[in-house]
Amino acid sequence: MSWMLRLLFLAVSLSPAALLMAWDADLSWPLIEGVRLSLTLTPLAGFFLVLLALVAPLIALPMLRRPSDVPSLVLFVLLLIGMQLLLLAGDFVSFFIGWEVMTWSSYLLLLRSPRTDMVTSQSYILFNLASAFLLLAGILVFYSVTGDFLIRAATEVSRPQALSLVVLFGLAFLIKAGTLPLHIWIPRSYDQAPDLFSAFLSGSISKMGVYGLILLLTLFPDALTGFAGRFLNGPAVGYLLAWVGVITSIVATFKAISQEDMKRLLAYSSIAQVGYITTAIGVGSSLALAGALYLALVHTLVKVLLFISVAGIVLQTGQRRFNDLGRLIERMPISFFGVLIGIIGLAGMPPLPGFAAKYLVFVSLVDARWLLLLAAMILASTAAFIYCYKLVYAPFLGHANSPEAREAREAPWPYLVPQVILMGLLVLFGLFPGLAIDVLIDPVLVGLQMAPIGSESWAKLSTAYGGYDGVVLMLVFGTAFALVTGLFLLLRGRMRRAGSPHDLSFAGEVPTAETPLHYGAGMGRELRRIPLVGWILRQGTQGFYLGLAGQMRAAAALLGTLYVGRPQTWILIAVVVFALSLAVQAMMGGL
Amino acid sequence: MHAVVDSLAMIAVSYVMGFLFYGFYRQLNARVQRRWGPSIWQNFFDNMKFFFKSETLTHGPMFFFGPMIIMAGAFTTVLFVPFLKDSDWLQGFSQYGNLILIIYLLVVGPLGNALAVGSSGNPFGVMGVTRGLTRLMGLEVPFFLGLALVMLQHETTSVHAIMAAQDGLANWGLVTNPIAFCVILLPFIASQNGSPFDVVGAPVEVYAGPRVEFGGRLLGVLMTQNMMMSIAKLVLVVDLFMGGATNILVLIGKAFALFLLTTVVSMVFPRLKTEQAVDFFWKVPLGLGVLAVILTVWLPSWSA
Repeated sequence: MSWMLRLLFLAVSLSPAALLMAWDADLSWPLIEGVRLSLTLTPLAGFFLVLLALVAPLIALPMLRRPSDVPSLVLFVLLLIGMQLLLLAGDFVSFFIGWEVMTWSSYLLLLRSPRTDMVTSQSYILFNLASAFLLLAGILVFYSVTGDFLIRAATEVSRPQALSLVVLFGLAFLIKAGTLPLHIWIPRSYDQAPDLFSAFLSGSISKMGVYGLILLLTLFPDALTGFAGRFLNGPAVGYLLAWVGVITSIVATFKAISQEDMKRLLAYSSIAQVGYITTAIGVGSSLALAGALYLALVHTLVKVLLFISVAGIVLQTGQRRFNDLGRLIERMPISFFGVLIGIIGLAGMPPLPGFAAKYLVFVSLVDARWLLLLAAMILASTAAFIYCYKLVYAPFLGHANSPEAREAREAPWPYLVPQVILMGLLVLFGLFPGLAIDVLIDPVLVGLQMAPIGSESWAKLSTAYGGYDGVVLMLVFGTAFALVTGLFLLLRGRMRRAGSPHDLSFAGEVPTAETPLHYGAGMGRELRRIPLVGWILRQGTQGFYLGLAGQMRAAAALLGTLYVGRPQTWILIAVVVFALSLAVQAMMGGL
Repeated sequence: MHAVVDSLAMIAVSYVMGFLFYGFYRQLNARVQRRWGPSIWQNFFDNMKFFFKSETLTHGPMFFFGPMIIMAGAFTTVLFVPFLKDSDWLQGFSQYGNLILIIYLLVVGPLGNALAVGSSGNPFGVMGVTRGLTRLMGLEVPFFLGLALVMLQHETTSVHAIMAAQDGLANWGLVTNPIAFCVILLPFIASQNGSPFDVVGAPVEVYAGPRVEFGGRLLGVLMTQNMMMSIAKLVLVVDLFMGGATNILVLIGKAFALFLLTTVVSMVFPRLKTEQAVDFFWKVPLGLGVLAVILTVWLPSWSA
């Protein structure tokens, strides 16, 4: 492929950024009688366009590495165009076209991987088509109620109409976001998709479900409170949605811990993170939405970083299972830092921005007085430490467990440049937690007619419940670290490096090269002994669907008993019922 | 300048309190078991002995930096917990932080050290880390729920504001929100690595604990941070439930009272396995927490 084509591809990957800079007007033209198409950039769509603009070139760069797969590049371009159309859509027709282009191009991209099997591709397309058709049904109901396709607050709808709209749209977007039990297409497809495309699937495409859910709130300004009133200090319907989100996070987190494959672990972790976002959307207050948007931002940066790092490892070693890796820290130091920064952000540790996002969500839950939800969310987010540790320990620390891991070299530069940029962005947002609030999130909240969070300075995150200063935190930690290390090195005595990696304190034994010393995939297995965790891990979503199918079959069998047997009986009964109803009507004076 | 002196003072106070409290613990524990026990200064002597070891074994750069990260984490945690109220001194940088930040800071250091443990290549060390993280997963749920009850009660996450609201014995968190204190008490003991939740790094479990590979000065660092971190946690609970302290003597008194309470609980019960501990946290303290939420949050809102 010539360098012209490559340059063109890179230019297209920058198109979301260009669009963001250049867009300053609304386009609108009539399609057919009574239906107008319109393209406009709302602040909410702008936020998600920023995410896309950040991520697209960073994933495009390593995709260009030779030998590159031309159909993949074309499909990626198509996907980017579809997503931009989706975000710009001011009416549901363009929204649906964008959604479909995204669905199909991502499906075909998924098929470009040699690892994709039949089950994966089928579940991907089935769930995503279900999502698209639910969306289409919702759009048609919306049109029949309001009389046009413009995306705007539907104030004139009655309650049953609104309910059906919320259910149709809600299901469509929840499938895309992958909440329980609609998530089973995610782990397979994130795992088997081309390694770099997994980053895009998790980082960007899952965010379109989040965009849809927030958009749904703008369609029905009182959707959350309107249906069932309030529970404590928040909307009652949102309480249900929030529990769906939290249960998704808990189950997905424990599933993630029990995975033996890096990309599958990341896929489950992605489900869990989007679960937090769903929870925050359920709370629905301005604090919570700020938290949801912040989480979306952090999750995008972190997951793209982690998936690209993992793609680098897979590229260099050909291994993706925790058991087959180890001790890459010395061979792939930059990838190690990529994963390290990634998991710090993923775990929500201060001082990286994951903490700012979690802080906003926690505070919003306290503000809504939904403390049990808060406790459940803490469970998911603390359990996440275990899989985060597994993700950094099994590939990078311990002992190399395969010849490839022993001889791997650092990933090529097209993989490293995006990692370094993403690390830089994460540290930047961590130092200045108010930056994302001020520049990215407050405009969205103002656009949604909610109270902005505001920030005195970029260094500070401030809420009515208190806040923190990212710069001071980082300075204190950095100074303490420098001080401690300096003082330590000043102490008398010398440091000696262990003679060999097997020079270990090993319960009185002397380990050799044959001793299995890598904890790898076994980590987290003992968690099954905890009754609750064991119970969760024994349940499978597949079981849920099989059970559902079984119930359907039983119901059908029950219904089927009506048709078997002697037809004369049924005809007789039908005649009798008909005659009886006629008689009743006659007696009531109806005839 | 004030900030520098103040920070150094906080670090010194937490270190001195740390080794004295633990020295006392060893002595008391010995007396309960009808031994004489070591002197109250023994922890200080042990710590110094480690620091002046002539040789320290490492397993590479990450192994070396782990203890540095955990120590820096301990310093940062200490500096973000206000030790006194209505005072310019022993405040550190606490006005730039909040309660949730402190809870997370408590974990930053141990996770940094977990990298060092992994880097050592000893599977038993990693097993210890996994046990520690599992226990953390168990204890954090009721612990945070109890703290959330306090945050809700005062409608703030600022430790300063919570402390300021408790003027006088009648307004202590212990009196106004006793059930929250009961919810956090046992998880708090676990977070202090106290028996019966001390399977991570208990003396007989050293060979399957995070510290198995550390020796010499690095072990000294780990011991120091442990003592300082314990004091930071004690002071935090004093701030939240016992009205804080206006001077250093009151602070030591209150922290010591709390330490005695946790110690006597620790001395009575035998050690639990990790999964037993987690299951216990999710049944008893969490059950109590759920009850507390129903009683103090749900019922008032329904009757209103």
